[in-house]
Amino acid sequence: MSEWYMKKGDAVAVSTRIRLARNLSEFPFCSLMNASQLAELNEKVKAAILDSNMPFSKQLKFIYMDTVPENEKYAMVERHIISPEFAANSSGKAIVLSDDESISIMVGEEDHLRIQIIKEGICLDDAYDIAERLDTMLCDKLNFAFDIELGFLTSCPTNLGTGLRASVMLHLPILEANGKISTLADSVNKIGFTVRGMYGEGSRALASFYQISNQITLGISEKNALDNLKAIAMQLIEKENEERQSLNKIKLEDMCYRAIGTLMNARLLSGNEMNNLLSQFKLGADMGIISLDVNPLKIMVEAQPYMLMRKFGEMGPDERDIYRANMVRKEFEKR
Amino acid sequence: MICQKCGKNNATTHIKTVVNGVVHEKNLCGYCAAKEGYNSMSHNSLAGMLVSMLGEAAGVRTATSAKKCPNCNSTFSDIAEKGLVGCGECYKTFYEELLPYLKRVHGAAKHTGKIPNKAPLMVRPKELSLDDLRLKLIELVREEKFEEAAIVRDKIKEMEGKENV
Repeated sequence: MSEWYMKKGDAVAVSTRIRLARNLSEFPFCSLMNASQLAELNEKVKAAILDSNMPFSKQLKFIYMDTVPENEKYAMVERHIISPEFAANSSGKAIVLSDDESISIMVGEEDHLRIQIIKEGICLDDAYDIAERLDTMLCDKLNFAFDIELGFLTSCPTNLGTGLRASVMLHLPILEANGKISTLADSVNKIGFTVRGMYGEGSRALASFYQISNQITLGISEKNALDNLKAIAMQLIEKENEERQSLNKIKLEDMCYRAIGTLMNARLLSGNEMNNLLSQFKLGADMGIISLDVNPLKIMVEAQPYMLMRKFGEMGPDERDIYRANMVRKEFEKR
Repeated sequence: MICQKCGKNNATTHIKTVVNGVVHEKNLCGYCAAKEGYNSMSHNSLAGMLVSMLGEAAGVRTATSAKKCPNCNSTFSDIAEKGLVGCGECYKTFYEELLPYLKRVHGAAKHTGKIPNKAPLMVRPKELSLDDLRLKLIELVREEKFEEAAIVRDKIKEMEGKENV
């Protein structure tokens, strides 16, 4: 088993994420917790997770964030394991992580527990199934704050009810190029879903990658929320594929080969330039223009600033552009 | 442009504030922006909407109500300011105040999703209907949770008794 970005996912649907927000009834929510309550929360979660009767216990590690080097915290953000807010304010907090990083639980983020499952491709049901089983086991061991009217009680009322945020990351370069994203985002918004950039809340679209997720958590069952999201994602995938069919082949080939040319030869690559070129390369590869055994997602994640520094040591942005270009070139030369 | 705080990363977050006609500019990388609190809350449309809706309500209410959550001491204006509730108990304390906003945000205010095995009976046993309890009983027996099943069975008997009177 390996991390989600090590696998290619599907052509348009890149990855799937499930998040459940849970709180323990004996503590105030995180914004009002003091250090000793936070420490107590950590120990309760740790005991529940590492209980040998838990089927998940063997593949999960409990990590105190204070033991994680600063740069590694941000590398975790870049691998989509934790939120930037959690990385920036992680003192006294903890994270539960599986070996392949597909399961993670932030302890002490906005809610006491943020259970997250991340998988390649579009697999909402499978990913939710894992989250659900883990949640049920934790439910038995911890006293989750729950109300029959309002469901799982959460720090922010926007997560109340199921506490479920499901999202699918889609690569939509042609809908974007044809200027259709904002209209689609508007109509998706009207039915309780949201379209955002690759790195979550408030982030701008990065290299034509968009996250579609549910907003409504109260008055809708988990299954309905997942089914609706799946239906919307499938529609967007279909629309993207439809528009791809009417592309001018020679223009597409030109774009794809130019991207490869730069990726294979550049001596300096900024993150932005690389992401855009890899996005163009991915489109060409997915359209069958070129067959190269290179995984653009793996490169995109591994060439993020803190991921680079994790591998090659501390350096400034100019130096990173050199290392990034070298890394990308090697990935393409291997093929 | 390099982040003016850490001096290491490229600045990707640009914040302009105007205070008394004086313009301040900040250029930060994503990580420093998160550290300074320029993050989700201001951009997450739903949470942002909630903060502004609750803010309006708090403005009207603070004059008349000094109600505090008995568990965490939060007032309704504390909640409105942050868009975050203080503790689980707050939802009971401020249920009436929050209800209209929950309906506006979610379109409904009745949970229809997962019910954990042990919680509902402890929280509001009265609110489960007889049918709910019967389903619950079947579920618990199937899962071989006999102790909890016995509690539910007694509850059903009690309710059936009342219905027959």
